[in-house]
Amino acid sequence: MTQATQKEKQETDQPVVRMKSQDLSVFYGDQQALFEVNLDIYTNQVTALIGPSGCGKSTFMRCLNRMNDYVEGCRVTGKVRLDGFNIYKNNVDTILLRQKVGMVFQKPNPFPKSIYENVAYGPRIHRLVKTPQDMDALVEKTLRRVGLWDEVADRLSSPGTSLSGGQQQRLCIARAIATRPEVVLMDEPCSALDPIATAKVEELIKELARKFTIVIVTHSMQQAQRVSDQTAFFHMGHIVESGPTTQIFTAPEDQRTRDYIGGKFG
Amino acid sequence: MTRLFQRHTRIAVRRVQRKKSPFIYKSYSKKPKHRLLRKRKAQEQRFRRTGLAAIVLASLFLVSLIWNIVASGYSAFTQVQVRIPVTYEQGLIEKEAYRTIIQKSLTELFPNVENRSEKRALFGLISRNAPYILQKEVQNNPSLVGERHEVWLPVSSQISIFYKQELYRQGERGGSVSPTEAAWITALAQSKRMRLSFNAAFFTNGDSREAERAGILASTAGSLLTIIVCVLMAFPLGVATAIYLEEFAPKNWFTDFVEININNLAAVPSIIFGLLGLAVYLNMFGLPRSSSLVGGMVLALLILPVIVIATRNALQAVPRSIRFAAAALGATPTQVVFHHTLIYALPGIMTGVILSIARAFGETAPLLMIGMVAFVVDVPKIFTDPATTLPVQVYLWSNNPELGFVEKTAAAIMVLLAFMALINLLAIYIRQRFEIKW
Repeated sequence: MTQATQKEKQETDQPVVRMKSQDLSVFYGDQQALFEVNLDIYTNQVTALIGPSGCGKSTFMRCLNRMNDYVEGCRVTGKVRLDGFNIYKNNVDTILLRQKVGMVFQKPNPFPKSIYENVAYGPRIHRLVKTPQDMDALVEKTLRRVGLWDEVADRLSSPGTSLSGGQQQRLCIARAIATRPEVVLMDEPCSALDPIATAKVEELIKELARKFTIVIVTHSMQQAQRVSDQTAFFHMGHIVESGPTTQIFTAPEDQRTRDYIGGKFG
Repeated sequence: MTRLFQRHTRIAVRRVQRKKSPFIYKSYSKKPKHRLLRKRKAQEQRFRRTGLAAIVLASLFLVSLIWNIVASGYSAFTQVQVRIPVTYEQGLIEKEAYRTIIQKSLTELFPNVENRSEKRALFGLISRNAPYILQKEVQNNPSLVGERHEVWLPVSSQISIFYKQELYRQGERGGSVSPTEAAWITALAQSKRMRLSFNAAFFTNGDSREAERAGILASTAGSLLTIIVCVLMAFPLGVATAIYLEEFAPKNWFTDFVEININNLAAVPSIIFGLLGLAVYLNMFGLPRSSSLVGGMVLALLILPVIVIATRNALQAVPRSIRFAAAALGATPTQVVFHHTLIYALPGIMTGVILSIARAFGETAPLLMIGMVAFVVDVPKIFTDPATTLPVQVYLWSNNPELGFVEKTAAAIMVLLAFMALINLLAIYIRQRFEIKW
C-alpha cells in the first residue's frame, strides 16, 4: 500500500473520537501531577501512553474511569468526555461509567474465586444477562475471545489464582470485557509477564481493538509500536507530543520525544 | 573428542576434592583471616542454642503444669461403689424410707456393730445421695417393689478418697478414716463388694455440697449459654465496626480517636468490664443477676475490641488491588466489601473470633462481679436462669476445703483445658483449610 492510498483511506473513514480530555489537571495534595492535558482517544484504535516513570501517564489513565476517586487527596480539574458527556460532572454515576470503561491492571489480580465466577462477576452485578444459560454462553464467548477457553474449559470451577501469570492476565482482560465496555484501559498489562505470555496478550490487544477502544500504558517502545495506532508521549505531567504511532516513532517533532524514543533518557 | 573431554573433567574434579575445602566450618583455623568467620559462626550457634533452651524450658513448665493437674484430677473420673443387698419393701415413698433400707442391709452385712456412734459411722460409708438413686430406680421400674437385689451404690467422699489412695498407693494419707472404717472397707473389698466405676455423675450433675455428687453439667451449660449470648452480641457489632472503620470511615480525628480507644479497651483488665456490667446491666437496666444473659453481654464487651482488631487485620490483609479490580468493574463500595473483601477476609476473621471466644470461655473475674459465682444445682435452660460457668466452677471448688473437691477441681480444669484445645484446634483448622494466600 502506497503512502497516497493510505492517506486516502484515512480520509474516507475518519476515526471517531470516543473519549476526549480537555484541560485536565490532577493534583495529589499540593503536588500537581498533570498540567492541562488535552488528548483525543479514537474509537476502535489502540492508544498507547508512553513516557518515563512518574510522568503522569497512569494518573491520566485512572482519570478516564475515575479510579482516582480512590486515591486520597486527589483532585481533578478540567473535563473528560465520553461520547461527548463530561464524566466529572457531580451527578455522574461511577458505577455505570466503570461498566462502560473497563480496566486491566499492571499485576494480574484475579479474584480468588472460580475462573467462571471471575468472568461472570461483572455481568452479574450489572444484571446484563437474565438466565444461567445466557451467563454460561457469555462466559464461554468471553473466554474464547481472549483465547483462554481451550486452556480452561475443563476446569472452570478451579480458582482463578491457580492459573499461570499470562493466563491470569488474560482472565483479567476477559473479566474487563465481559461487561461489554466501550473503552478498555490497560495499565502496563504485560510488565509482570514473560515474553511468550506478552506476545499472546499483545496479539489479544490487537484483536480486541476491532471491537473496543483501547488505551494502554506501556514502558516498552517496541510494544507501543507493535500494538498501537495512536501514541501520546507524556513528560513531567505534560503531553509533549501525540499522534499516529508511525509518525511519533519515525518523525517525532519534539526533541524530548526523539531522545526518549532513542533511549537517551527514561 | 567428547570422551576425551569427559576424562579430563573427571580428573580435574578429583583434584579439587582432594584439596581441603575452605568452606567447612571445622577447618577455620585460628589465623586472623578466619577470626571473623569463627566469630560469626559462634554467634549463630549461640543464638540457636538459646532458642532451643527457651523452648525446652517452656515445655517443661507446661508439662509439669499438666502433669500436676492430671495427677490430682484423673481419679475424679472414677467413682467408688459398694455392692449391698437391698430389699425393696412395700410402701416406699419417702427418702427416709430408702435410707432405712440401706441401713438395714448394712446392719445385715456387719451384724457385730452395735455401738450407736459406730453405727452412725457404718451408715456414713454410703453416700448421702444413695437414697435418691434407689428412689429413682423404683420410680423408673415399679416392679422392683417386694424384690431383693444386689445394688451398687456410691460411697461417701471420704471413703472414696481412702479407697482410691489404697488402690493407687498414693503416698500421703488425707481424710479422717478411723481404723474401724478401714477394717470395714478391707472386709468389703475382700468379699468383692467394692469396685471402681466410671463417674458418669461428674458429667450429668450440677454442683453439690457433697463432693461425690458434684458435677460440671450445670456449669458447662452455663458456659455454653454465656458464649452464645456473647457471640451473638460481639460478632456482628465487632465485624460491622471493623468494616466501617477499615473500608468506609474517612480518616479524621474522630476515627483516630475511636481507633485509639479500641486498642486501649483491648488491654483493660477484665474485672473492669465486670464492674461496668454490674453498674450498667444490673443496676441501670435491671437485668437478672447471675444470668448467662448478663454474663454473655459482659464478655461481649470484653472481646469486642479484640474482634474489631482481628477483623481489621484480616481486612487489611486483602490486597488493595482486589478492591480496585472489583471497583473497576463497577461494583459499589458496599458490593466490593460484601462480594469480595469480607469474603476473602472471613477465614482470618473467624480465626480471630474463635480465639477471642476461647478467651471469653476462660474468663472468670468479670463474672464474679455480676454474681455468676453462684451455687447452681440445676442446669440453666434459658438465658435468664441463674447460671455459673466452668472456670467459675473451678474457682468455687478450689475454695472448698473438703478433700473430695480437690480432685473435682483438677478434673474440671482438665475439662476446661480440653474445651480450650478443641476451640483452638478449630481455629487452626479454619486457618489451614480456608485461608487465601496472596
